[in-house]
Amino acid sequence: MTTEIHTLVGAYVLDAVDDIERASFERHLRECDSCRLEVDEFRETTAQMAHDTWSVPPPWLRDNVMSEISRTRQAPPVIPEAPAAPPVRGVSRRRWLVSAAAVVVAAAGAGSAVYVVQDQRVRDQRQIAEAARVDQARVRQILAAPDVVLNEQPVSSGGRVTVASSRLHNAGVVLLAADAAPAGRVYQLWTIRGGGDPVNAGVLADGQSADVVVVEGLPGASDVAVSLEPPGGSAQPTSTPVADVKLT
Amino acid sequence: MAERGASRRPEHLAAVPDSGAPPPADAGELLREVARGDEKAFGRLYDLVAPRVYGLIRRVLRDPAQAEEVAQEALVEVWRSAARFDPARGSATSWIFTIAHRRAVDRVRSEQAASERTIRAGVASVDTPYDAVADEVSGRLERQQVRRCLEDLTELQRQAVTLAYYQGHSYPRVAELLGTPLPTVKTRMRDGLIRLRDCMGTGVSA
Repeated sequence: MTTEIHTLVGAYVLDAVDDIERASFERHLRECDSCRLEVDEFRETTAQMAHDTWSVPPPWLRDNVMSEISRTRQAPPVIPEAPAAPPVRGVSRRRWLVSAAAVVVAAAGAGSAVYVVQDQRVRDQRQIAEAARVDQARVRQILAAPDVVLNEQPVSSGGRVTVASSRLHNAGVVLLAADAAPAGRVYQLWTIRGGGDPVNAGVLADGQSADVVVVEGLPGASDVAVSLEPPGGSAQPTSTPVADVKLT
Repeated sequence: MAERGASRRPEHLAAVPDSGAPPPADAGELLREVARGDEKAFGRLYDLVAPRVYGLIRRVLRDPAQAEEVAQEALVEVWRSAARFDPARGSATSWIFTIAHRRAVDRVRSEQAASERTIRAGVASVDTPYDAVADEVSGRLERQQVRRCLEDLTELQRQAVTLAYYQGHSYPRVAELLGTPLPTVKTRMRDGLIRLRDCMGTGVSA
């Protein structure tokens, strides 16, 4: 792990090396299990950085890709040269804890307590991120649908609400980015279908003015409305909606 | 970002379950099915990862038209080599993003791309409405954690990591841009990633 070539590990994972360095590094990896583990963990890290970048692809990209793969032969699996490493699934968390502990020790040894101090906050952040992740997957799925339809409407009290809905997924995503609600009021989302009474689609917390909400079964609804309600929300809107998005 | 994280909202605001739509699938499972030639599974995998594949490539290339082209190449490559994915080495998404990032970097480094970019720059600068929504949604949900973790890096670590990852620069070029010796840049890339890894956690992904 201390060889000269290994100092390239960061640059290698970031694809910041040239082809010759890449080849030498990969040769080095074949001989060093712990280095491989480091690379694998860094790849998970850069994958998280990729989460930061997403952008809805043009809808026709899906058709293009699907038609190309139907004409593309798949490569056979590679027979592993070395005995396979133990599977990550199920033990990844423990593995991570072990490596975190190692980092704390290493950092302490280097005269820095930064990681120790950050540890609790880091754990909190991770829990928050994991809670959001389930929703995120669904949000992405809906936004990437080839038939996604967008409707947007200003919020009369400032800001706007955007509704993306997909019949294919029988679901929609409501994105509210409004100005702060007046004191003592919270934003509440509603769906309206077929002239019936509005149905609660989510109540924002006190002080919260932006949110992304997945509404399953949204296609078929005629409107998505937003109103200001007492904290905790109401069974039916108690005021004129600040936004009413017609779903066409 | 002053607004609260979406994840802190109360429980009753979670997605309303019903309606028989398929639940979000696991990329690893889908990739295994794709490896057996299942085109339908590939379609579901596409839905799951395409916005990130496209977004990442677009971020590196900064040109929607080329990003579309390279995203297509990368996604077809995922199909082609699905059987080579080794779950013992990490998550399916990280394997996919590795392919996507490599493709984007290859493109950005080629001379040909440079001239193409110049020609296309005028044509391709129009954002679709999809972009606006994507930016906002990703802003709410995902940027916060990555940003927070990036903010925990030293300035040099952050610059070294982001210039390479998000802009596709080689480490000698990063050293040049930052006016920093090569060995220092290599070290900052590595210790920056170590710190990010511990801030974000590894082995978890959708």
